[in-house]
Amino acid sequence: MDMTLNAFTLYILTGLQLGSIFVLIALGLTLIFGTLGVVNFAHGALYLIAIYLAVSINNALGFGLALILVPPILFVFGVLMERGLIQRFYDRPHTDQILVTFGLAIVIQELLKWVFGANNIPFAIPSWGNGILMLHDYLPFLDGFVVYPKWRLILVVVSIVTVTAVFALLHLTRFGLVIRAGMRDAEMMQFLGVNINRRFMIVFGLGSMIAGIAGVFGGPVTQVSPEVGMHLLVPSFLVVVIGGMGSLGGAVIAGILIGMAQSFTAPYINLNTVIIYLITVVILLVRPRGLLGAKGVFE
Amino acid sequence: MHNQQSFWQLNKAVILFALVALTMPLWFPLINGYSGLDTKIMIFCIFLVGFDILLGFTGYLSFGHAAFFGIAAYSTGLMLKNFSDNIIPAIIVAVIAATLVAIVIGLLTLKRTGIYFSILTLAFAEMFHSMAMAMLQTWTGGENGLTGMPTPMLFDIKMQGSAVFYFSAIMAILMFYLAKRIERSPVGLMMKAIKCNQTRLEYTGINARKYKLLAFVISAMYAAVAGALMVVYEPFVGHEFLGWHQSGEVVIMSVIGGVGTLVGPMIGAAFMLYFENVLSVDLGEQWLLVLGLIFMFVVVFMPGGFMEAVERIKKRFITTADSE
Repeated sequence: MDMTLNAFTLYILTGLQLGSIFVLIALGLTLIFGTLGVVNFAHGALYLIAIYLAVSINNALGFGLALILVPPILFVFGVLMERGLIQRFYDRPHTDQILVTFGLAIVIQELLKWVFGANNIPFAIPSWGNGILMLHDYLPFLDGFVVYPKWRLILVVVSIVTVTAVFALLHLTRFGLVIRAGMRDAEMMQFLGVNINRRFMIVFGLGSMIAGIAGVFGGPVTQVSPEVGMHLLVPSFLVVVIGGMGSLGGAVIAGILIGMAQSFTAPYINLNTVIIYLITVVILLVRPRGLLGAKGVFE
Repeated sequence: MHNQQSFWQLNKAVILFALVALTMPLWFPLINGYSGLDTKIMIFCIFLVGFDILLGFTGYLSFGHAAFFGIAAYSTGLMLKNFSDNIIPAIIVAVIAATLVAIVIGLLTLKRTGIYFSILTLAFAEMFHSMAMAMLQTWTGGENGLTGMPTPMLFDIKMQGSAVFYFSAIMAILMFYLAKRIERSPVGLMMKAIKCNQTRLEYTGINARKYKLLAFVISAMYAAVAGALMVVYEPFVGHEFLGWHQSGEVVIMSVIGGVGTLVGPMIGAAFMLYFENVLSVDLGEQWLLVLGLIFMFVVVFMPGGFMEAVERIKKRFITTADSE
């Protein structure tokens, strides 16, 4: 492939940026799946709530407040959703869990469509994140004049920070230790006297909060319309499957992989539309468990 | 075998369905149903009966049946346009095309648990949707859809109005009968055993995956017949035929009606189409919201759908009658 270093750098950045949103959505999905065993078809709808909240608060009160308010609101929403609805479904078949979250996704999407209309709402980027970054000032190997939208780079940074924070929480704290143990064997944890259900409720809130963070920073990039939730859910599901269901590291690797694949195939429109499905098929054939899927998890 | 059940007992449901279906043009206008909607209901009855062979018998929830519906619709449209205006070869080619796709998708998605299956069927259907929108645009018409088909013909009969209705209704009755036969057969029993306890079935030495694939392909064939008939009913194919809305609609119809009962999903289809086209006049844009709420209510409180409601009412009457 004839590609200059300049173009290569831009493709990499776009891949990272696309991957960032997938990783943030998939991280919440796989976290909830790994701990609670629930496939949350309403996860895209959580993102939808986040972007509509973010755009409303941003346009009325400024971005700062949106950033402070939206993730905690989503956390509370996630906890309420788990207590009010998902909790009733732990003893029911997986099919029922999928059905109820699918129903919730429709209800949320239609409610938001009713309130905000079906059209895209412009999401103004705050002044400090607006404009372009002169990449050639920072990267000496670039030749001539190379620029990239600042906001998209901020999105990548936010994603890296969020992923790091989640990994730190799970691997460096006692809370994380209990959660990881619960992912292995929830029943055993209960025998040991740990109230795993309370912690799982918090995990659901966390997954929802990550969707909130994704919404605040991703809204201006993915646009704000009722269809966005479902459009993001499908590739995010594939990221979870490719990474290995319930594997956080797998979700990160797969998210970046999918982002890169979409970025690098952008010039070839036909390949671009099917590339993520092709990757999924190959992974399913070669490694049915996903890249980092653990043996014995929902086989 | 001590199968002493009479013809009437065995085929009660099919005969009742045939009576209701064939008289539909007489009574449907009385409840404000317009002609044409009855045809659509018949077509979706076929789709839903097939879907129940998968979801109701094996318990595998597909979120991608729009793929087979849409592929068959596009195939039918292209056949009518480029080969012959006779619907018979068009329907046959459509069913073959969808069946081949179903075999490939089934082999890929049925390797692991039902969760994987739900996610991956959704993904593959979305793949066909985006292919129709971009890669195959010259064939499918992309955003505008496939148009310009001649008036479909059944040999010398123009397929319009009541001709389409009766053709669809007879197909629906036949395919319902076939589904009932499958339900009673040893193959049907195997499929139901998968839903009951797949692990136990496999321990008895039976290849469960074979029966899962069979159920999946049969349900895809039903979806394909429905998709083909949709084009006979209205000579147009939109990309929405392949979209997740279409797959989701079928899931909602099944659950509202009552999964696993064959009759229930057909009632669900009739209810949803009636709701969408007749009752929604008062609800306007919010009909889908109301339907979503009904759907959630059913999933949470009445997982057996309408059929469970009927059973509960029946039981209440019988027990009160006994206690007195």
